[in-house]
Amino acid sequence: MTTLLDELGWKNHIGTPYAPHTGEPVTARDIRRYALAIDDRNPIFQSAEQARAGRYGALTAPLNYFSWAVGVPGAEKFTSDLGEDGLSSFVGVPEIPRAWDLGWMRGGEEIEFVRPVHEGDRVTVRGEVVDMKEKEGRLGPMIFVTSAFTYTNQDDELLVRHKVTMIATPRKD
Amino acid sequence: MSSGPSYEALSVGDEITPLVKDVNTVNIAMYIATVWLMDRIHFDYPFSVQRRGLPNIVAPGNMACDYYTQLLTDWAGDKGSLRKLSVQFRNFMVPGNTLTCGGRIVGKREQDGDGLVDLELWIRNEDDVMCVPGSATVALPLKKAA
Repeated sequence: MTTLLDELGWKNHIGTPYAPHTGEPVTARDIRRYALAIDDRNPIFQSAEQARAGRYGALTAPLNYFSWAVGVPGAEKFTSDLGEDGLSSFVGVPEIPRAWDLGWMRGGEEIEFVRPVHEGDRVTVRGEVVDMKEKEGRLGPMIFVTSAFTYTNQDDELLVRHKVTMIATPRKD
Repeated sequence: MSSGPSYEALSVGDEITPLVKDVNTVNIAMYIATVWLMDRIHFDYPFSVQRRGLPNIVAPGNMACDYYTQLLTDWAGDKGSLRKLSVQFRNFMVPGNTLTCGGRIVGKREQDGDGLVDLELWIRNEDDVMCVPGSATVALPLKKAA
């Protein structure tokens, strides 16, 4: 039986690297607004003074900010250049043929936190597709694409190792 | 920030103090605006419901990781660190949900001078539906090292 994964020919793309991306320097405003959105009142996100006296000695972003410190590559487009669903690209969706013929959902994540992001950091992400598999779901085939990323700062220090599994299913509309 | 729990005093089976989070349209809007995440399922109700078959607009799954990092870093205190976090996105988090984010200790081990605590995690909504199960490892200082 030919599976959807075979038909798409995607398995050849295991090991395909993502283009590396480096974010602009993280600002105090980026950190503060993120902390407000997630309603986390830890003072090391809000107050440079309190952060200086704390464990890291510098204004610090919430731990899960790491990927946003780079941003979603390709997401910053003029509104009239975006697709109808508002999406342009997504972390964990490789740039491979016919990727956007399918709909994508986030399945799961594994995050290993080594160092947090601080104000002024320029964060770089590098990664590759590490696994693809297909399962027959209740509503049809589901393709699981797992990618592994590393995030480093401007001093090439490791911040985070991140595995993301995205689930692709044939679009219904 | 608290000084955190004593590794030696913890037991397998202990639950940590849960964190309660309300999901509403304002905190979703703040989140997607600040990280520039413009997928319509996070802000466009007719698109989400009619085109994608979703129950409502949905919170970005990433927010679950933020709830867990808050839960675990607050619990671990100034001398503890969240080392690893794994999550599975099982059910959507939608406006109107009151989420309970909790954890239970499932293992303890000493490694390289730290006390490592393994936890199983849950984010359940007000109907007790599991939205984002997970697991984590937190490092705490050992008394004998101090």
